[in-house]
Amino acid sequence: MKRSHLILLLLTAGMVGTLIATLTSTARSVSFPEAAAGDASTYKVSGTLVREEPVVYDPQVDAGLTRFTMRDREGNVAQVHLYEAKPTGLENSESIDLYGHFDGQTFHADRMLMKCPSKYNEQNHVLGEDTQTAGA
Amino acid sequence: MDIAYVGEWTVVAEMGRGLIALALASSLLAVVAYLAGWERFARRAFTVHAVSIFGAIALVFALFIGHRYEFQYIWKHLNNVMPMRFIFSAFWGGQEGGFLMWMFWHNVLGLVLMRGKHAFTATAMAVLAAIEFFLTTMLLGVYFGDFQLGLDPFLFMRNAPENIGLPWTMRPDYLSLPFFADGQGLNPLLQNYWMTIHPPTLFLGFASTAIPFALAIAGLRNRQDRSWMKPALRWSFFGVGILGLGILMGGAWAYEALSFGGFWAWDPVENSSLVPWITLTAGAHLLLVNQNRKRPTALFSTFYFPLISFLLVVYSTFLTKSGILGDTSVHSFVDSGILPQLLTYLLAFTVLAHVMLLQSPKRRWRAVALLAPWAIVLLKGWVVEALVGVLVTLAGMAIAAYRKDIESSTEEDALWSRDFWMFVGSLLLLVSAVHITWQTSIPVFNALLEPFSTPLQWLADATGSGVIETWAQHDMAPGTDLDRTYHLVQVPLAVLILALIGMTQWLKYKQTKLETIRKELYVAYGVALLGLVGVLVFYDFEAWEAPRVALLAAAVFAASSNFRYLRKVAGSNWKQWGSPLAHVGFALVLFGAVLSTSQKEIISQNRIGDLATLNEELNNREDLLLMQGDTLPMGPYFISYVAPRTEGIHVKFRMDYFESDPKQYLPGDVVLVDGMVFQAIDEHFASSRFDEDMEAHWQFVPFPNPRQARQAMRWEAGVPGDFLFSLDPQIQLNERMGNAPEPDTRHWWDRDLYTHIKWGRVSPPETDEEGWLGGRESQLAVGDSVLLGSVLVRLDSLRAVRDEERPELGLLERDLALAACITLKDKGKEAPHEPLYIVRDSLIIPDLYVAEDWGLRFRIDRFDPMTEAIEWTVWEHESVRRDFVVMQAAIFPLINVLWIGVILMTIGSLMAVWSRWAQRKGRA
Repeated sequence: MKRSHLILLLLTAGMVGTLIATLTSTARSVSFPEAAAGDASTYKVSGTLVREEPVVYDPQVDAGLTRFTMRDREGNVAQVHLYEAKPTGLENSESIDLYGHFDGQTFHADRMLMKCPSKYNEQNHVLGEDTQTAGA
Repeated sequence: MDIAYVGEWTVVAEMGRGLIALALASSLLAVVAYLAGWERFARRAFTVHAVSIFGAIALVFALFIGHRYEFQYIWKHLNNVMPMRFIFSAFWGGQEGGFLMWMFWHNVLGLVLMRGKHAFTATAMAVLAAIEFFLTTMLLGVYFGDFQLGLDPFLFMRNAPENIGLPWTMRPDYLSLPFFADGQGLNPLLQNYWMTIHPPTLFLGFASTAIPFALAIAGLRNRQDRSWMKPALRWSFFGVGILGLGILMGGAWAYEALSFGGFWAWDPVENSSLVPWITLTAGAHLLLVNQNRKRPTALFSTFYFPLISFLLVVYSTFLTKSGILGDTSVHSFVDSGILPQLLTYLLAFTVLAHVMLLQSPKRRWRAVALLAPWAIVLLKGWVVEALVGVLVTLAGMAIAAYRKDIESSTEEDALWSRDFWMFVGSLLLLVSAVHITWQTSIPVFNALLEPFSTPLQWLADATGSGVIETWAQHDMAPGTDLDRTYHLVQVPLAVLILALIGMTQWLKYKQTKLETIRKELYVAYGVALLGLVGVLVFYDFEAWEAPRVALLAAAVFAASSNFRYLRKVAGSNWKQWGSPLAHVGFALVLFGAVLSTSQKEIISQNRIGDLATLNEELNNREDLLLMQGDTLPMGPYFISYVAPRTEGIHVKFRMDYFESDPKQYLPGDVVLVDGMVFQAIDEHFASSRFDEDMEAHWQFVPFPNPRQARQAMRWEAGVPGDFLFSLDPQIQLNERMGNAPEPDTRHWWDRDLYTHIKWGRVSPPETDEEGWLGGRESQLAVGDSVLLGSVLVRLDSLRAVRDEERPELGLLERDLALAACITLKDKGKEAPHEPLYIVRDSLIIPDLYVAEDWGLRFRIDRFDPMTEAIEWTVWEHESVRRDFVVMQAAIFPLINVLWIGVILMTIGSLMAVWSRWAQRKGRA
């Protein structure tokens, strides 16, 4: 066996191992009840914003907390606390992916990805004026 | 159709479509003529094609300059207020323009390649013309029933599918409608100078991968002739330099204009342009090994890497333009209906490459015969099944070609030879590319798994395997933890690659006497060790970041080793400068990127969690709330939010930065640290951290007396000193996509201060007729304080309203009334107030209490006797309201190393091209 074949073999083995590891470990989105029942520290829940409920962001109270309501893919609705400033376009988002944990009443999300309808909406923009202030 | 529309540039549209039709026909003719050997005719056909594309591009620019909003492409990407300096950004703001630009570069490069008089030129040009043929179909905009072939850049608004049949399209004078007076406009995010230079550079890099691809196909067509390698090498290094520059310009754009707080996010768009660069680099190095050898080594890879580099560029286009990435990316993609076309394009050239790898007509036909059934499956509508089948067959063909068709070298390279280690390095680069592609392609895997969902589910039920269950659900999400998803694999790979770069530069082709280079390597090891110590001393890395630290040390090793090579070996012979310079640049890019990202320090923290609002559940996160006029400490500065101003489509928030001078404390001063009270023992200036002063200057007060409790202030290290500079982080007003923040960054040689607005008001707040702003609810227990604007409100006590007070307050005898004794405090001003809580016949009577001079209005909504807490709503009057923003600021250390590295890498790559070009000229 040639030296280069040995290296090729080692690299291939390492690569296949890593790739299979990623396929087996990628996060899958769950529903709110599944997130509530499980004991992992982070779940991904995908769904859509419930537009009838207010999106609350009041920087004067907490600049890093946005509250809204989301419906997961199975139709379960839950209150969400997103620990970030309100991302712009949240109100117009088509779908939302949340990463966090569920305490039974509220889903606490450290991270959120969302899909917006517009093309070249390059980033997860922040800001906006149409936020309701707390309690209004 | 015989309506004569008034004022419409109908002729231009017809000319444009004519040019595209001509481009399509001439590219096809060029393919046929080049393959048939009619060289002169073929060259003319290709020239006609190139001129047609240039003409079409010129027409689109004319439409932009003329503000011809009757054209959909113009209407979508231009409006009247857009400064004309962004016309280029507008041109490639959409897919049609993107394709045109890509073709522009193919044609420029093709016209250069065409001048060659080599045996391989004709085949290579045929391949390039075929690529152009496919790309031209992307611009046709022809419908076959519901199937759309291409996007027409000269489409009239009235002919757009969504508008057909609408009444206004029948009006000859429709252009006089107000709708056509202005366009939708280019996404303001793209109105940035980086967007003028980044896309064309990137696309030139993309286009330059097509030439090594075409040359490799030509080389496969005639295996006896290896002369394609030298030009392929030049073009590959050209591509490496330009594509690398283009990718990192994109990073610079993200860093300067977007607000995700960095220059690289492993986003699918970034990844899919990085991967071709990696494989092209690997291919270029294999070409370097083989170009002069009598007996080739790793010949299969030398063909395969240039081939896949171009295919990966097409795959990148497919990923980003087809909409398949969907909701897995923060980039948002829209399926523009060209997915089938892009897929055909990708498949056609992948199949071509793999068929050509086989080396006899018989074997090629057999492969085609194996692929043909899948075409039938495809036509049946089972797209995914057909794709999986094709992919498996292609993999089989590649393996067959590797084993039988492309000869492998019989003798083994010496261990200490450039040849061997460059081959190893190329394989490492391939592993890196495969890993990134794999992670980026998870949405594609989901699509591929979908039709197999039922058997997979059955298998999952049978085996109880959670993994197979996941596949059956075909809903895998790309990892979100970048450390686990990318860095875990990529960082160790980068360490190895950098080590190889540092070592292999000194090795000679064929065989090296180790003794001759040992000293050079020891010097580089020594420098790397110094670098390692420096990194560990100056920066704070955690144990799990060991691979990162190793990467930094390896980068120092690679950079110093190549720098030494540049000085000692290349010396004044600039023709040898290219490779060591590019390697130094590459090492600096990785060093700067890893150090500045991993040591990024967010210096803004929400400081509102002060004594004043201890009742609020607040957390010090990464964003700073700044009231207008306040001066707050932030990292090594004091910062003050001055005022917002509107300039064009931007609202700029001026932030003044001041030096932070050490604060002086006098004996007896009382401070609060983490809820504990301390009293100063002596007069001293604070150092940067309290724990450093605590022993020497402070005394813990376990039971503060009332005076101490009242006077205790939060401990601060500094007081505002001299004014330093201003930054204007801004919000771009973007009606279409939503307002977008744009950072403002202060650059120093050794660090950047990067700031962006997370929340800011871009228009005056809404008030009622009397000027009251929307109310805010909060809860307050006796003893609690809350900050309203600049006013500190403290609930001192609650008391029942006395009988003698009732008439004056308009209360009935049967009313239950409670007065909340509050103190309002602002800048030395202090006043007591007493809003009321009234219950009449078990009903709460809402009582609005206005604190006139303070611009505040209160209403107590609930009272809880158990906790002695009230819930109330407070309104602020616009006259007292202070504007505020939420801002994030971060320091990126040594980020300039990255940018210097980019420049060196580009210059080095281009010098490598130049010196080889000059060499060729000299010999001819």
